[in-house]
Amino acid sequence: MPEYRFVAEGFEDAVRKFEEQKPEAEVKTQFVIPEKDFNTAGKGSSELKNLLKRLGVDSVVLRRIAVASYEAEINVAAHSKGGIMYSTVYDDLIHVRFEDEGPGIANIEQAMTPGYSTADDLVRELGFGAGLGLPNIKKNSDAMRLVSAAGSCTKLEFLIYFAKIS
Amino acid sequence: MNKKDSPYFHAIQILEDNCTGCTACVRVCPTEAIRVRDRKADIDPYRCVDCGNCMDVCEFHAIIPSSDPLDIIHNFKYKVVIISSSFFGQFTEDISYAVAKQAVLELGFDEVAEEAMVTDFMISIIRDYIRENRDKRPILGSNCPAVVRLIQVKYPSLLPNLLHQEAPMSILTRYLREKIAKEHKLLDEEIGIFLIVPCVAHVTAVHQPEGAYKHLQDGAFSTGMIYGRVREILKDIQNHPMDIDTYPQGLTWALSGVQADLVDTDDIRALSVNGVENVMDILSRIEDHYLDQYDYVVLRTCTNGCVGGCLNVENPFVAMSRIKKMSKEGTNNEIHVEELQELYAQGEFTVTPLAPRPIMELDKDIKKAIQKMKKINEFLTMLPGLNCSACGSPSCYALAEDIVLGKASIDDCLVLRRGNPDEDE
Repeated sequence: MPEYRFVAEGFEDAVRKFEEQKPEAEVKTQFVIPEKDFNTAGKGSSELKNLLKRLGVDSVVLRRIAVASYEAEINVAAHSKGGIMYSTVYDDLIHVRFEDEGPGIANIEQAMTPGYSTADDLVRELGFGAGLGLPNIKKNSDAMRLVSAAGSCTKLEFLIYFAKIS
Repeated sequence: MNKKDSPYFHAIQILEDNCTGCTACVRVCPTEAIRVRDRKADIDPYRCVDCGNCMDVCEFHAIIPSSDPLDIIHNFKYKVVIISSSFFGQFTEDISYAVAKQAVLELGFDEVAEEAMVTDFMISIIRDYIRENRDKRPILGSNCPAVVRLIQVKYPSLLPNLLHQEAPMSILTRYLREKIAKEHKLLDEEIGIFLIVPCVAHVTAVHQPEGAYKHLQDGAFSTGMIYGRVREILKDIQNHPMDIDTYPQGLTWALSGVQADLVDTDDIRALSVNGVENVMDILSRIEDHYLDQYDYVVLRTCTNGCVGGCLNVENPFVAMSRIKKMSKEGTNNEIHVEELQELYAQGEFTVTPLAPRPIMELDKDIKKAIQKMKKINEFLTMLPGLNCSACGSPSCYALAEDIVLGKASIDDCLVLRRGNPDEDE
């Protein structure tokens, strides 16, 4: 399946190590995102934010995680038939994964272009669909992977490290 | 909960004799600061933001405001009172604004001033500040002390967005201190400046101002107490009215929506939010950068703004309607802004950067925090999930957290102690 991968500069080794070692997760949460339910969309990332505040994650990093997870959550609500958000917290980073029920992204490169959007009228009326969701997730994460094809499920995951980027 | 060691002042008191341990206050506290232990409510001074929700909901007169008694004014040679803009919305329409103001003066003050005098000036300061700080969006209004403390405890990442300038009543205090000292040749400690305030958060802010560089006020009186005193002498005054300046347009400062409209202009987009639940929702969205299209956000924890303060006597909607009527019917007296502008140019109204008061962290060390979180999740699966508060904590999650932090035990859960009804079948 087509895949888009991004690793921020300076994080190549850390990300490779993480992917190879597949460390045991410390705290896991999951959250169901129903299709086109804009009343509850955002609740998953809001709960994640509260969890991270309890762990004492630095406030600048916290806002990056909040933005990336909120954007991704809205994406699932707006564009898919619903999905699940899985958050996994480690000592030094958070891994957030979104899996939806389709219908998939026909052209991933296009979807990653700022300003490109396939949002329908309902979504736009609610003030979403500016085509900035995926680029914004990329901007705020240290590593990101998007796997999708037309007619299949979409899987999006990102990593954000807790240590401040110096 | 470490009250004696707490560095924080609060204008909310619990009368243990009246407390029945009903947990109504526990459930309405926005920062989960209250626990009932041994059938008595207890407020965690680190978490409390003085919003007043608990006082409003208590049916047993067990949570009461503390404000200063009027006779403290006699400790000073020259006594000045500054009236908050919501005050004149408290009186029925047969009592004129001027008469009510004169009555306040005659309670024993040498001079009476009003928040409403400087609100136009404040709006120009706010606009300057927004234009000079375009890199921080949105700027958050800092006039409501409960909002400032809420940001310190729950949304510390937003502290840089706060408007770092004194609120109108403090600006006025600095101005009056300078002016009176000069005109009457008095020492600073001989001048007593007091506020009449609509809420406990303002009482707290007078006793423990956040970010103040200099001496501000010497006491805060409750609107309700002053209202009572004023009512006693109103009849007399109605027969001997004096010529007194009024600022009806400035009174709209007490209405969060109108304040936002006043700041809003061609290059500044303002949003107004009131009510503590709405304020928290908006702060969370601001954290997610979802309201970056706004330049300024007016935040007030009380309904409609300061007219909804817990020390007021009138319903917030009625008070709002009266203030709107007054502002339509009258015009502000002129005030000399030159001196204010001079003080502003000298940086007299800036405040120190505010520090966070983080309450949510389970541990300073993230590894230990994660371990505690794991334990919390384990306890959570054992608890019934009814969120009934009968244990004295606001929710099952809060009890699980209290257990892990050593502040409660699983035996506090009454539902577990009675046994699971499903198992009895």
